[in-house]
Amino acid sequence: MSAQDFLTLNHVSKVYRRNQSLLERLKKTDTGGTKAVSDVSLTVRHGETVGLVGESGCGKSTLARLVSGLMEPTSGEIAFRKDGAGRTPRLQMIFQDPYSSLNGRWTIEDIIAEPIRVHKLRRGRAAIRARVDELLTQVGLSPADAEKYPQEFSGGQRQRICIARALAGEPEFLILDEPTSALDVSVQAQILNLLRDLQKNLALTSLFITHNLSVVRIMADRIGVMYLGELVEEAPSEELFLRPRHPYTRLLIDAAPDMDTSDRSLHPIAGELPNPAFPPSGCRFHTRCPFAKDICRSTAPPQKAAGTGGMFRCHFDLELSNAQAIPPASKARTA
Amino acid sequence: MTTPLLDVRDLTVTINRDGHLITALDKVSFSVNPGEVLGIVGESGAGKSITGAAIIDLLVPPLKRTGGTITLAGERLDRLSPKAMRSVRGGRIGFIFQDPMTSLNPVISIGRQLCDTIEAHLKIGGDKAKRKALEWIERVGLPNPEVQFRRYPHQLSGGMRQRIVIALALCANPALVIADEPTTALDVSVQAHILQLMRDLHRESRASMMLITHDLGVIAKMADRVAVLYAGRVAEISTVGELFNAPKHPYTRGLIRATPMPSADSEVRLDQIPGAMPGLGAVPPGCAFNPRCFKAEGDCRAAIPPLTTEESTAFSCFHPLEREIA
Repeated sequence: MSAQDFLTLNHVSKVYRRNQSLLERLKKTDTGGTKAVSDVSLTVRHGETVGLVGESGCGKSTLARLVSGLMEPTSGEIAFRKDGAGRTPRLQMIFQDPYSSLNGRWTIEDIIAEPIRVHKLRRGRAAIRARVDELLTQVGLSPADAEKYPQEFSGGQRQRICIARALAGEPEFLILDEPTSALDVSVQAQILNLLRDLQKNLALTSLFITHNLSVVRIMADRIGVMYLGELVEEAPSEELFLRPRHPYTRLLIDAAPDMDTSDRSLHPIAGELPNPAFPPSGCRFHTRCPFAKDICRSTAPPQKAAGTGGMFRCHFDLELSNAQAIPPASKARTA
Repeated sequence: MTTPLLDVRDLTVTINRDGHLITALDKVSFSVNPGEVLGIVGESGAGKSITGAAIIDLLVPPLKRTGGTITLAGERLDRLSPKAMRSVRGGRIGFIFQDPMTSLNPVISIGRQLCDTIEAHLKIGGDKAKRKALEWIERVGLPNPEVQFRRYPHQLSGGMRQRIVIALALCANPALVIADEPTTALDVSVQAHILQLMRDLHRESRASMMLITHDLGVIAKMADRVAVLYAGRVAEISTVGELFNAPKHPYTRGLIRATPMPSADSEVRLDQIPGAMPGLGAVPPGCAFNPRCFKAEGDCRAAIPPLTTEESTAFSCFHPLEREIA
């Protein structure tokens, strides 16, 4: 681990198993299970935001839970940089749904003060209250809101409260799991701008998880693309959009409809997402990939380093800079 | 000037809360021409779904339609008896709901559900209905229709379920399809499939469509004309090209600029609209958008701007944006 590295994931895997019957436990048979995260290696450097994108079932939220320590990985290791005294950095999480992640019986002051009390960051009522007021102002709410209850606020304001609560713990590392997916566009823009400002002013290191490529492009310095539990590509944000190396990344960028009304073509990805419990053999994307060859069906592609410091998992070095790179024939048989 | 297939005039929906009347939909007017896709866009609480539900009289109390006219091909739907309305629903108007899991009956096979709809509305039975159902399963792109016919909703993936919902909406050859957030519950790659399917079927059947969504990207790709709703009122109605390239209402432009798009050239900051949409019953006097609008002046706070028609667009704003700014 170099001095810059803040968090390293080393071949991390997580398997969800069903409960075994007594007989199976006695016989010690391996019943298998769903490999939600499979052999993911990732490094987050100090002060940077790494985005993780993928469709539902790709394991991005499982990875967030593993990093936050809410779950133990089945194999591999997750290591944080330790400070001089050997302490791991403080970590906070912001969740998707601002309605279920705030306790409706607590006032805003109680909610935001809890991490301050738990971590003993301030002592005395007045000092804690002053800190709560400061945090509320920081996220664009007013100190008068501290007396209110969560149900008095709109979705966007609740997400601001969640952000204030996360910041109250004075985290060095922030995990954001779909923080704007439940919000409307105009409110989403406010929250994204707020998060950007906070990142810049507080020099936060963060992991930003979302299914929305446009959002992650705005927020992240580097982006990892996940498919069926695997990290298929990882690259600096701009690089990923300009020169994607994995066919899935290219198709994912094209699949989201943009606002160009002159070109109204749609770009669906062939086939359907396979069941994550039974991923395809070889390259997991081969069932939907327009470039798939025999080798893709039999052999899992190795992790290749890209020139720009990123990596991708594909047998081929494909030129995918523009949307025309995908053979049109493969699009036709999508229906 | 073609006669519109669906004409909605001054549609008003209110909630009666302890004797207080709260307006959820305030004199909404628009029309859908034959064969056209009208997009209805807005944020949550703008009244998009209420508009769709009000047209087919599926409003859930305490929501109640209290004014306005709804005309489908010359017939006043708002005056129909509940019984007559039942045959319109699923017959002349098909409906695609957001969540394919809750809009299909989990204990009835999808074949049976399709046959029921076909038998009820097309007045054909037995083998003929079954043949038609199989034909529709194939048309919406599901492999092995005979196998799918006997399957239950839980055995299908989200995208496949939504295909069946589309088949159900279209199998009775409706004149109008109302699609309420048809792809919101789906992943991007599946979303593109469903949109493609809806586009193909729309081209084949030439049915009119009302596409209700909050996603401007979906609107840009699918709609011919677009109505933007804000706080239960129409902010702007325009052709899709005009709307995105030269919006008239400040809210429309705000919405477009607030949407992050993958094609934007390393744009760092989004243009945000300050504040949030007013809740039900908390609509400010005058223009509903005035507290968030950068162009708001005294008259915006005093009176509700009427829907002004100008060539192909209509907007409700006293100070519309000039073409060159947009």
